[in-house]
Amino acid sequence: MNEPGRTAALEVSEVSLRFGALWALTDVSFSVPEGELFAIIGPNGAGKTSMFNLLSRVYDPTRGRIRCFGADMARLRPHQLARAGIARTFQNLGVFPQSSAIDNVLVGRAHLMRAGTVRAGLRLPFARREERRHREAALEALEAVGLADVAHRPVGILPYGLQKRVELARAIAMEPRVLLLDEPVAGMSRSERQEVVDLVRRLHRERDATIVLVEHDMNVVMGLAERVLVLDFGRPIALGSPAEIQADPEVIRAYLGEPMRTEAS
Amino acid sequence: MTTFVQLLFAGVALGAIYALVALGFTVVYRSSRVINFAQGAFLALGAFMTSWLVLSENLPFWAAFVVGALATGTVGLLFQLCVVRFAIGRPEFTIVMLTLGLAAVIGALLPTLFGNNPRGNGDVWGSSAVRLGQYQFFWVQVWTIVAAIVVLLAYGAFTRYTRYGLAMRSAALDPEASMAVGIPLRRVYATAWFIAAAVACVGGVFLGGYPNSVNPTMSNIALIAFPAIILGGLDSPTGAIVGGFVIGVIQELVQGYQPQHAPWLGNDFYLIAPYLVMILVLLFRPYGLFGSRPAERL
Amino acid sequence: MTGEPPPAAGALVGTGVDSAVPVPNDQAQPGTDAGQAGPRADRTVGSPAHAAATSAVGRPESQPPSPSGTPGVPPAKRPVRRVRWVTGIVVAAVAIGLPFWVDGYWRSTFAFVVIAAIGALGLDVLTGWTGQISLGHAFFLAAGAYVGGYLGTHFSLTAAIWIPAGGVVAGVLGAVTGPAALRLRGLYLAIVTIGLVYIGYYVLQTWTAFSGGPGGEALPAVTFGSWNFANGVRFLGHTFTKNECYYFLALLILVLAMLYVRNVTRSNLGRCMVAVRDRELAAAVLGVNVARTKIRAFVISSVLAGVAGALYGSFLGFAVPSDWGLILSIQYVVMIVVGGMATLWGPVLGALFVVGVPALLQNVSTTLTFLQSGGAITPVNAANIVFGVFLVVFLLLEPRGVVGLTQRISRTVVHRLDAGGRRWGVRYR
Repeated sequence: MNEPGRTAALEVSEVSLRFGALWALTDVSFSVPEGELFAIIGPNGAGKTSMFNLLSRVYDPTRGRIRCFGADMARLRPHQLARAGIARTFQNLGVFPQSSAIDNVLVGRAHLMRAGTVRAGLRLPFARREERRHREAALEALEAVGLADVAHRPVGILPYGLQKRVELARAIAMEPRVLLLDEPVAGMSRSERQEVVDLVRRLHRERDATIVLVEHDMNVVMGLAERVLVLDFGRPIALGSPAEIQADPEVIRAYLGEPMRTEAS
Repeated sequence: MTTFVQLLFAGVALGAIYALVALGFTVVYRSSRVINFAQGAFLALGAFMTSWLVLSENLPFWAAFVVGALATGTVGLLFQLCVVRFAIGRPEFTIVMLTLGLAAVIGALLPTLFGNNPRGNGDVWGSSAVRLGQYQFFWVQVWTIVAAIVVLLAYGAFTRYTRYGLAMRSAALDPEASMAVGIPLRRVYATAWFIAAAVACVGGVFLGGYPNSVNPTMSNIALIAFPAIILGGLDSPTGAIVGGFVIGVIQELVQGYQPQHAPWLGNDFYLIAPYLVMILVLLFRPYGLFGSRPAERL
Repeated sequence: MTGEPPPAAGALVGTGVDSAVPVPNDQAQPGTDAGQAGPRADRTVGSPAHAAATSAVGRPESQPPSPSGTPGVPPAKRPVRRVRWVTGIVVAAVAIGLPFWVDGYWRSTFAFVVIAAIGALGLDVLTGWTGQISLGHAFFLAAGAYVGGYLGTHFSLTAAIWIPAGGVVAGVLGAVTGPAALRLRGLYLAIVTIGLVYIGYYVLQTWTAFSGGPGGEALPAVTFGSWNFANGVRFLGHTFTKNECYYFLALLILVLAMLYVRNVTRSNLGRCMVAVRDRELAAAVLGVNVARTKIRAFVISSVLAGVAGALYGSFLGFAVPSDWGLILSIQYVVMIVVGGMATLWGPVLGALFVVGVPALLQNVSTTLTFLQSGGAITPVNAANIVFGVFLVVFLLLEPRGVVGLTQRISRTVVHRLDAGGRRWGVRYR
């Protein structure tokens, strides 16, 4: 919970999101203190990715407010998120397949780079120094996820698991204060999952990052998260530690349904 | 007042042609998700073919008309089967350029096959007109409106009441799901292109009527129809038709009144007035008046 | 979404791999030309992109190991660099010597080719790298031509002023048009750019004082002080004909433009362009300023178009409004598609194709009677048919254009050579 005097990294207050007649999210509230590893789970269609899209300013909430380190996010446009310190990975792979891994990661540094049509076009010293500096940072990010040796390969030909790791490297390279990971282990094999889990845990520990995770895989969530929010049909149905929500009957019902009534009972 | 009514009528007649062209665009767009930039070329092709059949081969007009429409439709169908089909799933840009390529080829073939000179469209009305009091309406224009209405109604009935029409609507909404339920997509797409090209032919023949002629620059008319489909929204046939008539009326009214009231805009301001209207509309509604914003999965 | 970007044309050459080559001379990284997963061959057999990359900017010196000692990325082997050097020299020699080996007809044709290549390069930046469909290139070409012509005629300025001025004015127009691309996707943008061409054409027809109206007007020849290209120029003991003057001036501008574009595409801006092209929404969320990227792309593209237009109009000597119609825009698109999108050399090869084919047809019409006037088909129409067919063929079969084709061929060739070499116990690389 929040220590008094500390602003929450993310504060979601009674947020609802509507698409036409469909309420994707209804009255969701939670707050993530700085440095916590927070997970959002729920059955398919629960609204997890919608929540993420709200956090990354793809949508505006129909109701409610989202604050990041105290500042209202409503005024932020998507490309200002990076400067606000928010980085995100994508469920459907947001890598640029034609570009090399390091170029993908460098896109994450774009908001930190100043040289433009003139300075970069004429390769003035400022631009060259800046490029070199950021290239090193990008390489570091790739090393952190263990992909330094494929830095120059076009991402499109890499296996799916590696592509997701490139995305993670990119998010790290943005030097964010809040990291949003959208289903980071989806589609991976058991060993790949373990690698990613270890990676995320290490990131959390070493960089003291605030991480918000959306995930289906229960083992991953239970092993990583400090607190978990459970959504069902867009509504929050439980919020607590992994142990608490595992025992919560509402959560069990949402995932497994009601026990069947038979003639005998 | 006379002028206004005459202009209005001419506008409706012109709008009818635009509506036909716009309909052709929308039909293709809804099936192949593509703007067929060769629609104008189809129009010119149909006009030239019909005209040639009447004037050189001495077919009766209505027979030539039907043959011309069928022939043009076949060209569209063949293009879909032989070219567009292989570009399904490619980025939009690719298919756009394919149609432009076709437009360039047809545009070069027409003067080669038929020569550069303007000629009549071979219709049976010529310059005859019907007079009602002080108003004079050319028969060609009357029949343009009639033909357009007939075609539009026929198309509406086709989409709503026939199996193929239903198949086309379904394929437009969700090609994969349609395939899954056994809809023969290839045939549906081919039909869409056939219809679009045949409809273009109808438009072309009437466009070539009095006081215009059948000439190689006819294909440009399709470019003026773009504002019509933009107004209506790319994926809405109703919108396309409404847009077509609106643009036609705007054009005629501007052509009639602008030289007196705003001569500094130039002689043929009516030619770009639709584009200016279109740009204005797009500034406020980037997907047209009736169009819908495509959903994007993140 | 409706706004899917153009195909993966030449991106491996243009961005994926080119940008994997660090800018030489300051990056202490091993020659990362080998950064591709497949055989590194396509970078070895002097594929034009890399000939340009190395010869134009300078030789990558034998690279010291990178600071982080990147494993798995070996430095370029000596035979590779030697081949590239040789190719570079050959290309440069051909480019410079060309006008002296051919006759006047072809000299003027090649001048047109180089001028068109400048414009095509601009369109490549906009469509190939940034993924914005534009059929409005003719508008910016015309702007450059008429503004340049106006300044040259009415103020008797030197070309050193009015050529760039044409570029600048076109660039301003591009900056104004750019915002349209922010709101409009794909097809809608294409249609608006068509509208732009029509509006431009209309302005030219109507604003007679500026453009000479439908009858057209004469456009001034390039003058630099006492040099007047129209009369030929005496330099270093040689008298350069008009064709040669324009050719070399355009060549100089083209080389500078290619250097500039190469720098941009390898920079942050270049990566942002590719990001906008490939996944615009994701790019925005990652911090890319999509609006600024698109506008910059429009400006670069239209400045180059303006310069090319100014040169083109001046070289023609006379222009009518109908010269700047949709067909011209389409021809430029054919250039980048056939040449290879998102590559440096694609626009050049494409320009060679689009300008060369009609010239060739015109030339052979003396022998092929059906091309003569009164014959079955005019050279212009025949050329358009060729363009249409090639456009379709390339789009379907080789979306990466001629550059992509050469890469494919060189990859197979070196593969075979490598396999053959290994059999004999000799390693090619």
